[in-house]
Amino acid sequence: MKLFDGTLTRVERSLDVRLLRHTVLAGNVANLDTPGYKPKDIDFASAMSAVMNGGEMARSDGGHLDAEGNAAGGAAGQSNLPGLRVIESGGASPSIDGNAVDLDRTMASLAENAIQYGASAKAATKKLGILRYAISEGNG
Amino acid sequence: MRIDGGSIDLHIKDTGIRDIAPPADKPAAGASFAATLGDAVGSLEKMQTAADKEVDAVAMGGGNLHEMALALEKADIGMRLAMKVRNKLVEAYQEIMRMGV
Amino acid sequence: MDFFSALRISGGGLSVERTRVNLATSNLANAETTRTAAGGPYKRLDPIIEAVPFNDLLPGSPNAPSAAVVSSIAADNTPGRRVYSPGHPDADPEGFVTFPNVNPIHEVVNLMSASRAYEANSTAVETLKSMALRGLDISR
Repeated sequence: MKLFDGTLTRVERSLDVRLLRHTVLAGNVANLDTPGYKPKDIDFASAMSAVMNGGEMARSDGGHLDAEGNAAGGAAGQSNLPGLRVIESGGASPSIDGNAVDLDRTMASLAENAIQYGASAKAATKKLGILRYAISEGNG
Repeated sequence: MRIDGGSIDLHIKDTGIRDIAPPADKPAAGASFAATLGDAVGSLEKMQTAADKEVDAVAMGGGNLHEMALALEKADIGMRLAMKVRNKLVEAYQEIMRMGV
Repeated sequence: MDFFSALRISGGGLSVERTRVNLATSNLANAETTRTAAGGPYKRLDPIIEAVPFNDLLPGSPNAPSAAVVSSIAADNTPGRRVYSPGHPDADPEGFVTFPNVNPIHEVVNLMSASRAYEANSTAVETLKSMALRGLDISR
C-alpha cells in the first residue's frame, strides 16, 4: 500500500542534500586560514537530479525506506547519496597565502542553505500532518 | 426450464451467485482483499522496524536526525492507518452480526 | 551522514582559530622578551594549518569536505631587530641586544582575523543547530 508520494520522497532527499551542503560549506569556514585552500561547494540542482535519477534513490542504510516503506539493506547509520560530487567553486581571488575562501559569500550561502532546509522540513512536516489528519478523521 | 418430448429437464439458470468461499483460482494481482490487508500489515511492520533502526542509530550517537524524525512520523501514520482499518473492520463485522438472518 | 560530522568540522575550525588567538597573544606578550629558557630572544610562533579531507560522508567521491587542523606550531627564525644598548644585561659582546622578531601590528591583525573567523565558525554551528531542531520538528 503506497502511502507516501513522490513529492515527499523528493523533500526527504532535498533534506539530505542540504545537510551535506552545510557540511561542505562549514568545511570552507573552518579552513578560512588554511594556506592554499580552495573552497568547495555542491551544485544543488545537479545534485538533486543525480540523487533522484541515480537508481531507485538507493540508500545504504538498512533503516531507510523507499516510497513504499520497504527498507533497503546495508549498514545502519550511513546514508550514501549516489551521484553527489563536491566541486571546487570559484572563490575570491586568492590572498597571498593562496587561500581562496570568500567568507561573506560563504556565510550567505550557509544562511540560504539553512533557510531552504527549514522550508523542506516544514513541507515534510505539513504533508505528513495532512496525512495524519486524514487518517484520524480530524481527531488529531 | 425446457420441455422436450416426454421429459422435463429442469435447469436452474445460472443467476451468477457464486460461493461465499473465495474462488479456487488465483485472483487478479492486488485485487484480493486479503492480499491488500496483508500488504498493509506488512508495511506497518516494516515502518516500525525502520523507525527503530533510525532511533537506535541516534541513540548510540551519530545517526541522522531528520531521517529519524521522518521514520518515526511515518511509523506513526502507518499505525494510525492500521488502527483505523481495524476499527472499521470490527464495525463492519458487528454490523453484519446485527443483521437478522 | 549525520549532523555531527558538520559539528566536528566547525568545532575543529573553532579550535584552529583559538590556537591562532593563543599564539598571537603569546607573541604580543613576549614582544620584548630578550631571554628565554632556550637561550636567545623569544621567537614568534606560527600555527601550521592544514586541510584534512573528511571522507566518511561520501565514500567514493573524488572530493570531500575538509576539516582544518593545526598540524604543528613552527617558530619563526627570522632574526629580530638589533638595538645598540651596551648596558643591557643581554647585550652581546658588540653591545647589541637582539629583540624578538615580533611585529605587534602584525600580531594584532592576526588576532582580529582569527576572532572574525572564530565568529564565522560559531555562526555555522548555530545554523546547524537551528537546522537540526527544524529537522526534529518533523515529528512533533
